[in-house]
Amino acid sequence: MGKVVLQSAYNRSKVALQKTSRGAKIRIGLLILALILPFLPFSTDYILHIAILVLLYMILALGLNIVPGFNGLLDLGYVGFYGIGAYTSGLLTYHFGLSFWVIIPLAFINGAIWGILLGAPTLRLTGDYFAIVTFGFSELVVLFLTNEIWLTRGPLGLPGIDVVSIDLTLFGGPKWEFIGELPYYYLAIVMVLVTVFVMYRIQDSRLGRAWFAIRDDEVAAVSCGINLLVYKVIAFAISAAFGAVGGSFFARWVTFLSPDMFKFWESFLILCMIVLGGMGNIWGVMIGAVVLVSLSEVLREILPLLGMPVNVRFLAFGLIMVLMMRYRPAGMMPIAAVAAQMRAGRVKRKKVKPAVGIKK
Amino acid sequence: MFLQQLVNGLTIGGIYAMIAVGYTMIYGVIQLINFAHGEIYMLGAFFAITFISFLGLPFYIAFLVAMACCAVCGVLLDIVAYRPLRQSPRLAALITAIGMSIFLQNLAMIIWGSRPKPFPHGALPAYFEKTAVTFGGVNLSWFHLFIFTITIVMMVGLNLILKKTRWGKAMRAVAQNKTMAALTGINVNRVISYTFALAGALGGAAGIMVGAFYNAIYPTMGYVAGVKAFAAAVLGGIGSVPGAMLGGVVLGVAEALGAGYLSSLYRDGISYAVMIIVIILIPAGLFGKVLKETKKSM
Repeated sequence: MGKVVLQSAYNRSKVALQKTSRGAKIRIGLLILALILPFLPFSTDYILHIAILVLLYMILALGLNIVPGFNGLLDLGYVGFYGIGAYTSGLLTYHFGLSFWVIIPLAFINGAIWGILLGAPTLRLTGDYFAIVTFGFSELVVLFLTNEIWLTRGPLGLPGIDVVSIDLTLFGGPKWEFIGELPYYYLAIVMVLVTVFVMYRIQDSRLGRAWFAIRDDEVAAVSCGINLLVYKVIAFAISAAFGAVGGSFFARWVTFLSPDMFKFWESFLILCMIVLGGMGNIWGVMIGAVVLVSLSEVLREILPLLGMPVNVRFLAFGLIMVLMMRYRPAGMMPIAAVAAQMRAGRVKRKKVKPAVGIKK
Repeated sequence: MFLQQLVNGLTIGGIYAMIAVGYTMIYGVIQLINFAHGEIYMLGAFFAITFISFLGLPFYIAFLVAMACCAVCGVLLDIVAYRPLRQSPRLAALITAIGMSIFLQNLAMIIWGSRPKPFPHGALPAYFEKTAVTFGGVNLSWFHLFIFTITIVMMVGLNLILKKTRWGKAMRAVAQNKTMAALTGINVNRVISYTFALAGALGGAAGIMVGAFYNAIYPTMGYVAGVKAFAAAVLGGIGSVPGAMLGGVVLGVAEALGAGYLSSLYRDGISYAVMIIVIILIPAGLFGKVLKETKKSM
């Protein structure tokens, strides 16, 4: 008897080991592929540029994912935080010449502060109102960036932001400046790895569990003693902070900022990545970023040949969103809880048998 | 100066009110922020300009035909995009609404191009430009009067429809409680279609008037106007038709005066700021019912 139990336990653990190791193999394989990408024969500066863009959008999409994916709230103003982060980075470099490594935590904190400022009064509201408030906020950010010329130079843009550098001169070492796409590529990989690590840790933490409880059923979550507002504000602040970090990388990478870069389109694109990949699924969101950035760049090349403005590519993204919601509402890589959630109405209608004399 | 701004504000405010009414009616019946409503407004203007320049219709006829087309567009939008999601969580419907808005906007960009289009020369009746009334140093053109008249007629007409007709009664019933309405024999889906038709026609009319007022029609015009009208609907209390009307006018005046006296750079920001402040401080708006907070948002 005892032997059988042991045996089955052994088998189970063996299966579990095989499963995890397979997943790990894929992950390590992908990581190695990403690391050697610049040295593959077909990779050019253009390919690297797009790869960095993919990585940047991965950070942004993972950050946004916290709000709709983990908490089930629609955030339409994510690009506002992205813009705040980018301008934080740009202005601190432009005026004070701060190093990128100092700016990253500053941008993180600044994003979080704005997230709390916006989230604390508005997360009390129902989801629709929250969505529209975030939208208004991001529009106000763009207006501010456009009109406060004394600070941001307005529509002229903020040029000549210093590149990232590793400065060891204080310790008698050399100073490396990041020139070309290659160092940024590896910097972006590191940032994505850190983001993914943080996301996994949050997902499996007390915080993450509380968020999932809120997403799945707010009433049940409250009755378990979860303070809805506090947890939602934390989620919104962390999401905003990652947006700001993405922005600060963006500023130092392209070394030029203008308010036009932070219009609603960007929020929409990032939201589309999450919807396509699967809300709440870290891998899905990352794959969504790969697919949509690539699609976006391909369309950007093709559309001018057809004599169309480049922005028409959003037609495809709009269509993707509508079709996904219609046929695969939980995304291409759905996680079970979200999938159940997204078709709650349909399932319920089949299951519930009306009992005589009992009102719902 | 003040009076001139006031007149401009009232004119634009009336138009916002017409769009806001559409938002609020649709929210009333299916509890969805129809983000694509601003696109219906934009389509209205493009339909009108197309009918005028390709079919050579006179302005007034084109106005009516374009309104009808917008009504059809509204109904189609509901049937194609929203109806399959009636039983889905609100998040899914909301994302679909945004997707449709972006889709329609870019469709318009493909069909009509992204440059602002004016009405063809001589398409607008010539007397629009002429001054009708002058008081206190303010010139009111016939066009201002035209917009005022149309706005008032449509608002009164809408109120009559909602209050006096069977369909209006059915709409109000559906807005109160879909299940009970269905139990009393109301065809809920058809009533929702009628609501979309009505909202679409009003939105289309607003689009044509704004397009003619500024004489510029472009695919992204619905985006800003849509958000402002939504702000007006929120200000008035979403779900309340008189609230949306009042909200539109108040917002239009606030915007004109704010642009005139505070900063014209933040003209668009005024409505966003009003919207955020209203949502935070009085989420029920001026006339709205208190929202059921327990209703799940997802």
